[in-house]
Amino acid sequence: MTDTRLIHTVGVRALEWLWAHRDGFRLEPDVDPDVGFLERFKPVGELALICRVLFREGVAGSRQADLARRLVDHTWRHTLDGGRMLVRGQRVEPLSPIPFEVYLPYKELGYSEPDVERATVLYHRLNSWAALELDPTRRLGMSAFQRRFGLTPRPPEADLVGATWLARTPEPWTVSGHIAYDLTHTVFHLTDWGERPDGLPPDIADYLTMWLPVWIDDWLDLKRWDLLGELLVVDACLPRPTLDERAWEGFAAAQQPDGAMPAVRTMPEGEPDEVFDTVYHPTLVAAFASVLATSRALTQLAHAPS
Amino acid sequence: MEQSGTSALLQGAVQDLSSDVVSALRGGDHVRVAGTGAVDGLAGGLAVAAVRVLGADLLLPHILSRTPAAPEALTVFRQTVEAFPPRADAAPIVVWSHWAMSRTLRRLDAPQAGSPAGDEGAEPEAGWLDEATWPFLTHQLAVLAPLAVPGEDCAVARVARSRPVDLARGFVRAVRRRDWQQAAGAGRWLTLLDGVPDTLGLETGLDFVELMGGSDPRVALQVEAARAMRWTGAFV
Repeated sequence: MTDTRLIHTVGVRALEWLWAHRDGFRLEPDVDPDVGFLERFKPVGELALICRVLFREGVAGSRQADLARRLVDHTWRHTLDGGRMLVRGQRVEPLSPIPFEVYLPYKELGYSEPDVERATVLYHRLNSWAALELDPTRRLGMSAFQRRFGLTPRPPEADLVGATWLARTPEPWTVSGHIAYDLTHTVFHLTDWGERPDGLPPDIADYLTMWLPVWIDDWLDLKRWDLLGELLVVDACLPRPTLDERAWEGFAAAQQPDGAMPAVRTMPEGEPDEVFDTVYHPTLVAAFASVLATSRALTQLAHAPS
Repeated sequence: MEQSGTSALLQGAVQDLSSDVVSALRGGDHVRVAGTGAVDGLAGGLAVAAVRVLGADLLLPHILSRTPAAPEALTVFRQTVEAFPPRADAAPIVVWSHWAMSRTLRRLDAPQAGSPAGDEGAEPEAGWLDEATWPFLTHQLAVLAPLAVPGEDCAVARVARSRPVDLARGFVRAVRRRDWQQAAGAGRWLTLLDGVPDTLGLETGLDFVELMGGSDPRVALQVEAARAMRWTGAFV
């Protein structure tokens, strides 16, 4: 099994980089309407989601937890202007799921913006919101987030799982990068981002136990760190995580001394904002994979025969 | 230059032989061993070398259909077995490849007294696969795909039987990496094994390998062998 310290250190360093580059989490209020004001919300929502996982699992050190708390606070107060940017987003594009998706983890962490909540409750009553033509995994995520918000999911999650790629357990040799991202997100939504591993139906858990090692081996050799990180999260969501030593060592070795994780092969060059936009996601994923795998490693230790 | 020219000639000869075997597997004809009529001189040397590369699969159609091989094919095959005994320090796959040819010769050439056919020979050992990771296992078994024959047991086949999931993972890995020959060889083994995960989709997987890589006759040979063996049956 992989050294837990190595797994843990990946997450510590990732948080250091995210904190040092927190200004990269930025909106563009004056953006051309054709580009869309909501385009830059995604990184903020992902950051909050993963910081929430970090608090939930309770395996972060004090420095890491402090940085995560400050990052969430910084993005809520500054990037989202205390939630007012989310209200604005809902005014610009009322039925977009994005402001709601970004808001949910902040709400779960104790932040509140009543106007976002009022709009969300109204949109939830609209047939139009339930009928949005999202791809099946995103639709599953929307319903899961509605449940977490305290609403009755429309449509119910159980009605949505079957439409995902993963639920059909298709031929594993057809998996491409796009399919792999779909299936990792299906797992995230089914398990509430690793909180409930038993949310994976047994046939899907068996399927992933069988084939995930192949995909991890493949994307490790391809040095696709962003996708590898997501696959390592999926591993940590399985009933018996492998915490694959070779994959974790390769993943850790790809991380830069300052904590940044390149998306593919090596670090890109360019303007700081461009570099941030390329590597914030793999670095967030590194933090996510690290905290879940560390938590599972400690669970295995606790259950190991003495 | 001469070496690469010879290498290209050999590749071509192996491809031609593979095409012959594919035709025989599809049509039930004899393996004709086209272009190997003259077994002496340079052309003969090339033929023998090509047969050595292809190994026991040259006569697979006759093993599967239990029909006698054409005498000239059998002659080249026997000459190859005799010309290339594995050295003492040969790699396991070389030793096993030769053993597979000797076994085929024993099945098809039994009346020939004094030939290697008469020598039941000790089976090599398969200990080098004991600790093999699934990617390495799949690579080695794909090279030794000529040993994947219904009704024929050996130590390598027993290893394969004990690791269907690992071999299935190796098949997926090979397809992902577009290593069609390895995928086809692994798929041929899997066709004979129990315990292959249903979600693998082996039959469509082999069709996909053929679609993507089947213009190479060596890939087509493995796919066609798997197809033929699906009808013939699993290991006894």
